[in-house]
This record gives sequence, structure tokens and C-alpha cells, in this order.
Amino acid sequence: MIAATGLTRQFGTRVVVDHVTFSVERGEIVALLGPNGAGKTTTLRMLAGLIAATSGTVTIDGVPMNASTGSALRRRIGFLTEAPGLWDRLTVRENLSVYLELYELDRHEDRAAALLEALDLTPHVEVRAAELSKGMRQKVALVRALLHDPDILLLDEPTSGLDPGVTHGVRELLGRRRAAGCAILLSTHNLAEAERIADRVAVLQERLLALDAPANIRRRGATGRIDVRVDGAAAPYVDVAAAVGAKATADGAILHVELTDPEARTPALVEALVAAGARIIEVRQEVPGLEDAYLGLVARGERGPVA
Amino acid sequence: MNGRAVAALFRKELLDVSRNKGALFPVILVTAIAVIVPFVVTILIPAVIGERLSDDSDLVGISEVVDPASGLTQDGRVQMFLFQQFLLLFLLTPTTGAMATAAHAVIGEKQARTLEPLLATPISTLELLLAKVIGALVPTLVIAMAGLALYVAGIALFALPGVLAAMVNLRTTVLVFLLGPASALLSLQGAILISSRVNDTRTAQQFGVFIVIPITALLVAQFTGALWLSAFALTAIAAGVLLVWAILAAVSVRLFDRETILTRWR
Repeated sequence: MIAATGLTRQFGTRVVVDHVTFSVERGEIVALLGPNGAGKTTTLRMLAGLIAATSGTVTIDGVPMNASTGSALRRRIGFLTEAPGLWDRLTVRENLSVYLELYELDRHEDRAAALLEALDLTPHVEVRAAELSKGMRQKVALVRALLHDPDILLLDEPTSGLDPGVTHGVRELLGRRRAAGCAILLSTHNLAEAERIADRVAVLQERLLALDAPANIRRRGATGRIDVRVDGAAAPYVDVAAAVGAKATADGAILHVELTDPEARTPALVEALVAAGARIIEVRQEVPGLEDAYLGLVARGERGPVA
Repeated sequence: MNGRAVAALFRKELLDVSRNKGALFPVILVTAIAVIVPFVVTILIPAVIGERLSDDSDLVGISEVVDPASGLTQDGRVQMFLFQQFLLLFLLTPTTGAMATAAHAVIGEKQARTLEPLLATPISTLELLLAKVIGALVPTLVIAMAGLALYVAGIALFALPGVLAAMVNLRTTVLVFLLGPASALLSLQGAILISSRVNDTRTAQQFGVFIVIPITALLVAQFTGALWLSAFALTAIAAGVLLVWAILAAVSVRLFDRETILTRWR
């Protein structure tokens, strides 16, 4: 649906986004992860047509984003900016009304009301934005991004500053938008949120370091360490494991094994252990959490290209 | 051109200004001065010191530019001359409005971080700037016109008989309803252009001085009798001002650099 191809952005001599290529498909949520200054907001701005790429292209259903198509394509995008950006002296209703008009929407008050209701904002519609809490402002901004029923959502830290209950509500809302076929790209520093909601995770640090399902990203960070639980003591099987090229130690019934290529060599290890008479109860590969995998990717990314 | 978008943003500007009384205070102050000072000079001071305006031969001399067919007494002619001159003060009112509100137009949106979501909508730069200009123009013109109504009422009440009737002529009409709004439009456009190129309100307001200087020069030249602009001359100036405004409006759209505003301003 929305695709970036070789997207690059330089400010002066500083490269902020470097040859980034990815797409977000209909009915998909992609979480954009990266340290501060990694180029997440710049990428979102380029995708929203707010700033031009130094090189590379953004396309929506094959239509390139440029000066002549930008206005029409922006109608299909709901963009939640980093700051809520509400007019302080206007009420919630007045803030949203301006945007309903900007999108030339008629009789969409019901839609606005439903969105406000979904985010528990109905009692606050006549309150001026200046009087809202940070979380409420964020929620109003989210409603504003969804007002025109966009089929692409670009969200810059949508749950920043929200309490866990509201965060849950936002996740459910995004889940419903995904089910309705919306393509959603959200930047976040909340890895647990990314893991919970995203179909794929993109790790950005100027370059795209990884783009995959969260489980696969975690697997990439796997150390090669495998725990084998056997019936009885594990010590007799240390040499068997060593014979298949693994470093192994025993701890009671657990055999800790380190393999250089666990995907390929685990079957051979299991076969050798069974052949040696071990009764295997459980084989578990140690897979890091998304946070460890992410930190590993970023650390390797700082040192050089990541395969 | 999406008229709905312009109208929506215009309404937003009006709402915003109506709830920000401080923003219009300078305009109201200048308008109050423009209304009060002429009566102090023309009516109050002569009354307090017990002299007639026609006792000043210099004033009588320079007031001879007033049409003798007006049938006014010498005092009446001097009063009319002075009230006509002070009418130029009402050109300063919208200029002050420009500096007070329009200079804030783009910078204020950026500083409040409301510009980025706005630019993410389909609104064009022309529509955005048009809404900003109209949104700043209408409140300042309303205040200026209200001040003018008070001015006229004051002349009707305090000036000599026939002065108000003599003032209602083509020259006054051109000055009030053509040159005034045209100057306002130009100064607002200038302020908005500057507002979209600098990143703090004070800088934009300092540039506004360049708009005040020609008006002040015109005011001084008329008072010294060095210059008396006819209705035709004022019409020509208004046409020139509108032409410059149109050029400035086109330049504003071209110079409105979304990228710089979004990425460089802090």
C-alpha cells in the first residue's frame, strides 16, 4: 500500500535517513523502532509528504508522492505528529471541526463522536485544549488523525504519555483499524508495545537494520545456547555433546550447550544424545527478548552494516 | 482552491483571536489614539487655551488646500484640514494589527507545534496563507472601522457645523475604503511573508517597522503642507499598493518553505 524505496534524506552534509526500503501493506501494522535521532520522524514526514526525500521515492498504491500528487495522497493518510499540536484556545470540538472542514467532510460528526467515545473523550468535547492533560491531548490528536477514515496511518509515538488503560484502548482501536484494512506504521520506543501489536518491526538507525516479524527479530538475536533437560543427571552427556562440536556443561538434569549454528546442528545433537542413551524431556533454545535483540542490532548497526 | 478549507481556517483564526484579547490590544490602543488625539488637538487644546485655530496663520495657510467651495468658515476649514490629516492615522491601525497578529501567524503555529498536523492535510500553501491574511485582516479592519465610526460621530458632535458634511467626499472615501484596506492587506501580507521566513515573532515585528515608515512619512508630509494628495493620487497609490500586495502574495507562496519551517525551526 505505502512503500519507501531507497529513501534518503540529508540535512546539509548530515545523512539522517540512508537508503531505506520497506512497505506497509493493507491490514498490517509495522512498528518503527530506533534510538533517538535514528531518523524515525524524518521517515514518517517523508512518507506523509511533508518533506521531500533527497533521493528515493514514496509511493501509495504505486502512485509516487510528489508536489503534484501530494495533496490528493495526503487525503489517504492520517498522520499523528510527535506533539499533539492542538490549538489551545479552541475546544476539542472546535479543533476537530476545523479538520473535518479541511478534509471537506460532511455529516462526519457521528464518526467524530464515535471516535471520541471510543477514547473516553466525550465528556471533554467542550473543554479547551489548553485545559486537557497530556494524555487527553494525545488522544484528541489521535482522533484527529482518524477523522477522515484514512487507509494509511502514520503515527509518531501514539501511546507516549498515556496511562496503561488508555494505551490498551489505543491498541484495540489500532487493531480494529488493521482489521478494516488500514496500513499502519507507528514509531515507538516501547518495545513491549511493538511486540504486542506489530505484525512486523523495522529497526532504523539511519539505515534499515532489520525488518521482520517480532519473533524473527528476536530469533536473530539468539546466542546459540540450548538447554537440554534429560531424565537423570546430565553430566554423563557432556562428552557426547562435545563430540558434535558443541561446548557443553552440566547442571543437575540440565545440559547447557552452545552451538555455533543451532538451527542446523540441534537435530544432530539430539540424535547423538539419544544414541548415547539419554532420555530427553525438553530441548529449549534460549531466545532473547525483543529488547535484547533490538539492542544487539543497534550496537552492531553502530559498528557497521548489518546483514 | 478549496474554499471550505480557507473558510475553516479563517473561522479558527477568528476564534483564536477573539479568545486572545492581548493579541488585539495594540490595535485597540492605536485606534483609541487615532480617535482621541485629533479631538485633543483640534477641539480641546484651542478651547482650553482660549484661542481659535484661525489665529494661527501657518495653519490657515496650509489649510487653503481645502476646497473653498465647501462654504466653511476659516475655523471650519482649519478643523476640516486637521481632521482630514488625522484620518491618515487610521492607516496605521491595520499596520499595527499586522505586527501584532500576522507576525505571529506562522511562527505562532510553529511554536505551538500546530503547523505540522495542519500541513499534513491536503491544504495548499496558498489556501493556508490566504486564511492567515484574511484571519488577521478582518479583526483589524473591524476595529479600525469601529474607531472610524467613533471618529465620525465625534466630528458630528464636536466640530463646527458643516465640517463633517465637507469631509464626506471622494478623497475621504478613497482614503478610508480603498487605501486603508489596501495598506492593511499589504502590511499583513508583508508580516506573514516575514513570519514564514524568520523563526521568532520579535524579528517579524521589527521588520514591520519598514511598513510603518512610509505611512509616517506621508503623515508628516501632509501635516507640514509639503504634500496634499488628491483623490486621484490616493487612488493611484491604492492601486500601486494592491499591485505590490499581489506580487508579495505570490512571493509569499513561493517562499513558504514547509521543510525549513518543520525541520530547522526550534
